[in-house]
Amino acid sequence: MRRMILTAVFLASGLPAADITVVQNGTIHTVTKGTFKGSIVIRDGKIAEVGEKVMTPAGARIVDATGKHVIPGIIDAHTHIALDSINEGSVSVSSMVDVTEMLNPESVSIYQALAGGVTVCNSMHGSANSIGGRNVVFKMRWGADARGLVFDKAKPSLKMALGENPKRQGSPQGLQIPGLSPPQNLRYPGTRLGVEDVIRDAFTRARAYQREWKDYETRKARGEKLLPPRRDLELEPLVEVLEGKRLVHAHCYRADEILMLIRVFDDFNIRGVTFQHVLEGYKVAKEIAERGHYASTFSDWWSYKVEAFDAIPYNAAIMHRKGVLVSLNSDDAGGAELMRRLNTEAAKVIKYGGLSEDEALAMITINPAKQLAIDQWVGSIETGKDADLVIYDKHPLSIYSKVEKVFIDGRQYFDRDEDMSRRPKIEAEKEGLRKKLLDQQKQAMPQNRRPS
Amino acid sequence: MRKNSLPALAAALPVFAFLITAALAETVNWTAIRGARIVPVSGPVIEKGTVLMRNGVIAAVGAQVDVPASAWVIEGNGLTVYPGLIDALSTWALPQPAQAQPAAARGAQPQQPPQQQQQQPQQQQTRSWGPRDRPGTFSWVKAADQLQPGDPRLGQARNAGFTSAAVFPRQGIVAGHGAIINLGGKTAGDMVVAPEAGLYLALRPSGYTGFPSTPMGIMAYFRQLWFDAGHYRQALALYAADPVNIPRPAYDRALEGILGAKRVLLPAADPVQLERMLGLAGDLKTPAVFYGAVRGYEMAARLKETGTPVILNVRWPTRDRDADPEDQDSYRELRIRDLAPTSPAVLSQAGVKWAVSSDGLDSPRAVLRALKQSIDRGLKPEDALRALTLSAAEIYGAADRLGSIEGGKIANLVLADGDLFNDSTRVRMVFIDGVRYLPEPEAPAPQGAPGRGPSHSEEEQ
Amino acid sequence: MSIVRIACLAALAAAAFAAENNTFLLRNATVHPVSGPAMENASVLVVDGRIAEVGAKIAPKGKVKVIEARGLHVYPGMIDSGSPIGLAEIASVRETVDTGEIGDFNPQLRALIAVNPSSEHIPVVRANGITSVLVTPGSTGGGRGGAAGSLIAGQASLMHLDGWTWEEMEIRRGAAMQMTWPAIQMPRGRGGDIEAMLPGLAARRITFAEARRNQQQQVQKIQDFFDAARRYQKAKAAGEAVQPDLRYEAMIPVLEGKLPVMITAVREREIREALDFAARERLKIVLAGVRRPGKALEEIAKRNIPVILGTTFVPPLEEDDPYDDPFTLPARLHQAGVKFAFASFGTQFARNLPYQAAQAVPFGLPYDEALKSVTLNAAQIWGIDAEYGSIEKGKYADLIVTDGDPLEIRTQVKMMFIRGAPVDLESKHTRLYKRYSARP
Repeated sequence: MRRMILTAVFLASGLPAADITVVQNGTIHTVTKGTFKGSIVIRDGKIAEVGEKVMTPAGARIVDATGKHVIPGIIDAHTHIALDSINEGSVSVSSMVDVTEMLNPESVSIYQALAGGVTVCNSMHGSANSIGGRNVVFKMRWGADARGLVFDKAKPSLKMALGENPKRQGSPQGLQIPGLSPPQNLRYPGTRLGVEDVIRDAFTRARAYQREWKDYETRKARGEKLLPPRRDLELEPLVEVLEGKRLVHAHCYRADEILMLIRVFDDFNIRGVTFQHVLEGYKVAKEIAERGHYASTFSDWWSYKVEAFDAIPYNAAIMHRKGVLVSLNSDDAGGAELMRRLNTEAAKVIKYGGLSEDEALAMITINPAKQLAIDQWVGSIETGKDADLVIYDKHPLSIYSKVEKVFIDGRQYFDRDEDMSRRPKIEAEKEGLRKKLLDQQKQAMPQNRRPS
Repeated sequence: MRKNSLPALAAALPVFAFLITAALAETVNWTAIRGARIVPVSGPVIEKGTVLMRNGVIAAVGAQVDVPASAWVIEGNGLTVYPGLIDALSTWALPQPAQAQPAAARGAQPQQPPQQQQQQPQQQQTRSWGPRDRPGTFSWVKAADQLQPGDPRLGQARNAGFTSAAVFPRQGIVAGHGAIINLGGKTAGDMVVAPEAGLYLALRPSGYTGFPSTPMGIMAYFRQLWFDAGHYRQALALYAADPVNIPRPAYDRALEGILGAKRVLLPAADPVQLERMLGLAGDLKTPAVFYGAVRGYEMAARLKETGTPVILNVRWPTRDRDADPEDQDSYRELRIRDLAPTSPAVLSQAGVKWAVSSDGLDSPRAVLRALKQSIDRGLKPEDALRALTLSAAEIYGAADRLGSIEGGKIANLVLADGDLFNDSTRVRMVFIDGVRYLPEPEAPAPQGAPGRGPSHSEEEQ
Repeated sequence: MSIVRIACLAALAAAAFAAENNTFLLRNATVHPVSGPAMENASVLVVDGRIAEVGAKIAPKGKVKVIEARGLHVYPGMIDSGSPIGLAEIASVRETVDTGEIGDFNPQLRALIAVNPSSEHIPVVRANGITSVLVTPGSTGGGRGGAAGSLIAGQASLMHLDGWTWEEMEIRRGAAMQMTWPAIQMPRGRGGDIEAMLPGLAARRITFAEARRNQQQQVQKIQDFFDAARRYQKAKAAGEAVQPDLRYEAMIPVLEGKLPVMITAVREREIREALDFAARERLKIVLAGVRRPGKALEEIAKRNIPVILGTTFVPPLEEDDPYDDPFTLPARLHQAGVKFAFASFGTQFARNLPYQAAQAVPFGLPYDEALKSVTLNAAQIWGIDAEYGSIEKGKYADLIVTDGDPLEIRTQVKMMFIRGAPVDLESKHTRLYKRYSARP
């Protein structure tokens, strides 16, 4: 795979002795502190200095960015990439599962996303269930194993889903499971009313479970000999949500269901929810903003289903103007597609709604960082933050720009020139392997009937 | 010598056959293999020596061994004696699925190794709604209770030099407990060396519908199951201490089966799955043995670091014969195909304990051929042999009785007319519990094909 | 509708409506004719819906309404070379979808007759500068439109994105016969996926031999259908009494090489087979949906077969494909000398057609080619370039007036004219925007 070649390249060239890199003379879009022509000093993976004039330490590796644009690494708050399974769609509450376990570091989508300037993404459980599974935030450290990818400082989170998807298995016309006739096949809920019930019920059970443990601890402390409660992996993450230790990302479309969830969470005192998709968020922007919840939406998706028929490309702009912290996401699964051009997706909030360049860039950098509670490390070009940087040849909000280099933690993980020069080498290696295997196969005995 | 006999077979072999009657059963029976090249695995090769067996157990081995006058002596000139080979992950002697398909039809589903074919969904009409439904759970099933001494595959296995196997049930996701068995014996009970070899876990949702439907759901379920088992244990203990005030916990066969597991067998085909399973095994707080490891060549360091043994599937991947000719193999596939046969050498070099499974191969002999490919790619023959014998025994904690030619171990031996990994070498006979088995005619039909005769054994004095 | 139009244009062309609706002088703009170099400070004179003159100094005869366009740019309206727009409203709701009729061969079906002029998609799409669309009757995938895999889906129609009825929208009712070349389909997915696959699904896998047999049966069906149509054509030409058959009637222009067949063929093998078939049957063809032409690219170029490319906004098809493979495909076609245009092949992202083309520019496609691929090339491929596709004297005034490069996302389309008539740029989206922006 490419990562092996990558490793080889790094070994050959050797890491810079001082581990200092200076990105020089580019147009720096810090997102939070303005845009200017200047340079960035990277030391030990962090941004050590950024400004129009910086001190270039001796022995530093110089990356010339003259005529180029530098932005913080793009953060995608909603994807399903690099996961070997996405939906534990069998039950309406599947909080016992964790997609972190399904993270596949060899998925080429990671490299594709990287080549599109994405450095961090939130890869999530799917939307088949009212309460889905636990999500994973990771950096595109292509070549690392799963543990090496995970951005472990990110706050844990839980996926939830409202509307058509979670109620689909409750419809006789919905998803059919082979071998099961409709009555057994049907899964509660089949309506938005039922979706609310499932969520209320789950958090009510979680509260009871929380109390059960507290009682146990109290009695145990008094010296009573008693059986501890049964650990329940379904309810544990919900208790963490109740205790503010776990964020919620809630897939939703219609204004009514968004408001419903706001009110349910009012009752359970749950804060800091990111509404995902939230295509009718513009209709209840006031209510979302009042509670300080967040919104992560598409730039211009609409009409692919009934609940997306009132979606408008002005959604992000309206919500932003009404005080909601907004990010733009890709929802990519399988290959990375939209996520590698989130820069031009951001340009659409300028087209539709007239936001500023910084507001547009914020929606793919610092805003998603806030929604994932990682903004103290990533999301803008500021001293002390991780050196996650993207260098474009042209203005990143232009459709004519392309990514030239990507740094994560100060290390260069993507370089377009290197990628291009690697291509013929890999082709040659493949040809050699094909020949070698063919020769072996000719000699081999007929035992290996089975394929790979 | 065992008490039972098959008079008809014995009579058919008049040269060696001495019918033993029940009355003679208590006599000490000595058998010696003399003048053979002996490869004990646990020690240096003895170029010309003797193995002496007493009542099915190895009594002595060496260049100079006193052979009792009553011993039945086999002249071993030109023969090499190896410890009996062990298939470390097998279904031999276990009932085959009813829907086992003929070879041609199997070829139609080339991506499915046989153990997966056993998991065709049954016509089940219930849906699992969560862990409490214990989906796909057969933790109370024991391979030792299901052995079929008449399995025609046993003869094929012995022909290739196999005398023992770790056999595991394969249904569902918690498939049941494996057993270490000998590949010969009159009754199922005779065959069992150790009735508990570990609990076989699979990550493939099958044979039921509903929860869990994904590998992550299955992993979550396993954790819940183990937590539940731990809770059950606590509840039983509390109840035992105070049956008056503590409510009696309901008997739960699924949890009983979990509590009885010495180790778990988990799939780890590649480094990605290995990481997942290391995490899972840690949470289950149960020693793990990984199986599969098609990309073992990339897993050695991590396996060594964690001290986890692995059972290799040696069905080396090849290009799907059935593939679209215009379908180009990916770089990833080409590399896997190229490097998979190097896994044994890489694992040995790293000091990882590994053994071998016959899973997915057409015949037991194909295991040896596959390892020969690895020897050609740098595996030391002695490491290959160790994997097939002592390492397998060690992984299952049976090295006190199996895996090498040492005094006190079960007399499971292979006598071959040359190097085991040489394709022209023939296995002349094997001993299982000291009973000699001669080669059976190789069947043209593939494994599991119907219509083959019963197992063929003889008894000697 | 016209009331909204007037409201929309009032700001820009206050005095515009004194004279006839489709006669005007657009003044002081940068005119991008596409067929030639851009002209700064130029004007376009439109008379009765057609371009009468383009140039720096135009002296219209008599009194003509004047539209001041200082600082703005004029381009030909863009053409989407394939979309079910008007036939499909909500992709996931069967009742709103009229693509993908049942049956393998439906050459007699005409897309235009079910185009809904009130579709919410129409104003949304034209707001981004698209004035016409080749409306395709074939399934848009996912089996949602009913029969998923028909071989001849029907006749695609070129439609303007404005009109009170589908007749008023019509540019050319039979613009192309839509056909799909069958691919050898084997369930793919190796490795991890198969591990997670339910055994029932895994058991449904078929061998390559079976897959090829299935495909060959499909190809044979196509051959049989063409043979039968040809017999019908000959019998009719010979004056024999034939039982009238609408399907075969519809095939006659195809067999005569007059009506182009738009054949969807994604990979090299299908492309090769489609090219061979077309040569044997002496068909006029346009390839569509090409992703991996491989060695067939030379043949496509040699035989001057035009290509309709789908969106560049897709991930690479194969794991080993370069990450930018979909972005470089248009440049590769261009370098090989293949003429191509873009299609959205969908509804919700049809408005992104210009960006689809622009995405290929940083990856090697000359800008002018990108612009042509959504204007003049499309008109040429569909045989309407005498009247559409560029700003040239005598052509219909399908124009857009923008504040910049229409392929750039931030650019706003300020005005649109279809056959010289001003078109409303409001849509469901702008209406909801206004309404909810004003929510207290």
